[in-house]
Amino acid sequence: MDSGVVVDFAHLGVTYANGVVALSDLSLTIAADQAVCVVGPSGCGKTTLLRVLAGLERATHGGVQLSRPATLAMVFQQGLLFPWLSVADNISYGLMTRGATPPQCRAAAREWCERMGLQRFIDAYPHQLSGGMQQRVGLARALAVNPDVLLLDEPFAALDAQTRVLMQELLVDLRRQGLCRSLLLVTHAIDEALLVGDRVVVLSARPGRIIADVTPQVSHGQSFDEIRAQPAFMQAFTTIWQLIRHEVEAQLREEVTL
Amino acid sequence: MTQSRWLTWLSPLLLLVLWEVAVQLNLLNRVFIPPPSEVMVALTKALRDGSMQHDVLVSSQRIVLGFVIGAVPGTLLGIWSGLNRTVLALVRPLATMLYPVPKIALLPLVIVVLGIGEVSKVATVAVSVFLMVVIHTIGGVLQIDQRYFEAARVFGANQRTIFRTVALPASLPAIVEGWKLAMGFALTLIVGVEFVGANDGIGYRIWQSYELYAIADMMAAVCVIAGLGWVVTVVLDEVARLLVPWRYTTVKESRMSVVRTWWGAVRPWSYTAAIVPVLLGAAIAAQQVGLNWWLLILALIGSIAIQGGTNLMNDYYDYRKGTDTPAVKGTGGALLRGDLTPTQIFWAGITAFAIGAAIGLYLVSVTGPFIFWLGLCSVAVGYFYTAGPFALAYVGLGEIAVFIFMGPVMVLGSYFLQIPTVAWPAVWVSLPVAFVVAAILHANNLRDIDTDRINNKRTLATIFGRDGARIEYYILVGGTFVSQWVLVALGVAPWPTLVTLAMLPLAWKLMGIAGREVDPAALQPVLRQTAMLHMRFGLLYVLGWVIALWV
Repeated sequence: MDSGVVVDFAHLGVTYANGVVALSDLSLTIAADQAVCVVGPSGCGKTTLLRVLAGLERATHGGVQLSRPATLAMVFQQGLLFPWLSVADNISYGLMTRGATPPQCRAAAREWCERMGLQRFIDAYPHQLSGGMQQRVGLARALAVNPDVLLLDEPFAALDAQTRVLMQELLVDLRRQGLCRSLLLVTHAIDEALLVGDRVVVLSARPGRIIADVTPQVSHGQSFDEIRAQPAFMQAFTTIWQLIRHEVEAQLREEVTL
Repeated sequence: MTQSRWLTWLSPLLLLVLWEVAVQLNLLNRVFIPPPSEVMVALTKALRDGSMQHDVLVSSQRIVLGFVIGAVPGTLLGIWSGLNRTVLALVRPLATMLYPVPKIALLPLVIVVLGIGEVSKVATVAVSVFLMVVIHTIGGVLQIDQRYFEAARVFGANQRTIFRTVALPASLPAIVEGWKLAMGFALTLIVGVEFVGANDGIGYRIWQSYELYAIADMMAAVCVIAGLGWVVTVVLDEVARLLVPWRYTTVKESRMSVVRTWWGAVRPWSYTAAIVPVLLGAAIAAQQVGLNWWLLILALIGSIAIQGGTNLMNDYYDYRKGTDTPAVKGTGGALLRGDLTPTQIFWAGITAFAIGAAIGLYLVSVTGPFIFWLGLCSVAVGYFYTAGPFALAYVGLGEIAVFIFMGPVMVLGSYFLQIPTVAWPAVWVSLPVAFVVAAILHANNLRDIDTDRINNKRTLATIFGRDGARIEYYILVGGTFVSQWVLVALGVAPWPTLVTLAMLPLAWKLMGIAGREVDPAALQPVLRQTAMLHMRFGLLYVLGWVIALWV
């Protein structure tokens, strides 16, 4: 394996117990410090890809390899915080399972709350936080373990449009601060993939195959609004949208004929 | 109080009044439906002869025992079944099958197998509780969102950690709900069980009254079991708050801080004021007779409970009257910060008084009515210290009340428990302690002199003014030592009690600060160290008396 590669999916195939083929023969590598975003029509198996890497799903063919014992962490849809733990205990959960002492956990929680603007809510239970704050806690919980690869499964899909943009900016900002190394983000929002990703991988309809692997030629280091206005951004967006549109239309036709 | 609050009380009250009136006007037959007043009389009679207490105790024992025997294995088996498919397949069909069987229907069978004694009654309750708890617990574990388990696994939790941090807390709400239902069930069941084949217990009492046609007694018993049901509900609600805090509160309060909050509200360090006189009374009595340790320990617990109750009531009424504001240091902090609600404080105070009263009543039954009057006066003073329109602490009588009650009265009471005579020497001997305990209170008033003036809280300090208040402090602290020297010189107190001289430097230093400082912050240590002086002086004084037993 290439020394720069952290994650290596090789000929991955996943068939569920009910016979649904989620993925067949998918190969994808993620380099160190690379942000890879996966987009595709719904039900294309992009979440399955993430779950295989997280160890929550078994590969039926092929598999996934990590270049070295790597720490993984995941941000789930809608946060999936533990309702019975306070914000602080949620953030330090991954540290606690790895044997950190309560004072270490508390210190880490305090640090992350400060970074995420959650100081006032450090002892609050999640149910009273807004969706955006919950997802900030989810992000902090994942990043607190200092993961080699951060997995994000449609993390901002449930948020309102304004909050979503702020969260995307936060994620990019955290990456710029070097707090987040390799990243695999699964989303159905093309603009999100282009804004966050160094690479955007487009999957076909189920079973998911890679139909495009785009490196957006947008120049980062600008505000999101400026990036969105770049011709390169708009061009990449259109290209990807045409690909996905084609897939979705094919899928719809198939359903109609069924 | 809002209008709706009034209305909720209105309908039951109205019902009672109408009921009473209807019977008094002979619209209802008194023989079949006795009026509330008669039920009250029946209840009082049953309480006075102690038969009601006995029946409540017996029934409560059966319920609690049956509940614990059923709920503990029920919870464990339920959790296990919820987590393990094999166990689930074995347990669930059986539990679901047996669950709808009315458990009271099994009683004859249980009696055949286990006999008519206590065991069969407890067993019937236990079986019913067990089934209820198993089913609810299984449900609770099975309904856990599987994604929580996945999240825990992704974050590196092993099986044990997952159990502790996900399975258990996620199923706890349902488990506690099952406990509540099972407890309600147990209450219903015990009455039925006691209808048949029991010769005590609240159910037996109801049935017996029916057979004797003593309807008022019957209704009194029904009222009591309703009260019991209410108490059980309140207790289980508290348990739920403790175990499932995230369902009730928005902010996590660590267990430690709960303890710390109550610690601050109850102020155990002030208990030396409750402990020293009791020890002193016993030490004086020990000069003449051997010590009854049992009574001494009870007296200590009772005294601490009353002191705790007084502290809590103080906070409550200070808060209500608005004398404690964040500007006032020390007292009532938990209330002011909103850590505890006034209602919580109030009920905790009542509970503490109830414990003190229960111990007091026992001591009265053992030693006679003198203790009763002493205790009654003490509780009254404790309560009216800050409560009521004529609050002692607000009319400048605080020091005098404390001087009398935390000095002579308590020493005498403790002495009386050991030797049932009212001995004047015990009063003289208590004087040094009375001086120093009053000094604590005065140190507090000296510190708060300005804020108390603003709040119209009349204390001796505000009445005398700052210079007079300083002289009062000298008198109280000086009086502590001087009175003791006089006692030794007259031969009332033994000479080893002069070990208290070791405290003279501290007293000197405190008088110096009290005579110099004006700033409340600078006077704060005077308060703290006067309390320390009280404790050390008191304990040394007692030690002197103990040494005197041998020399």
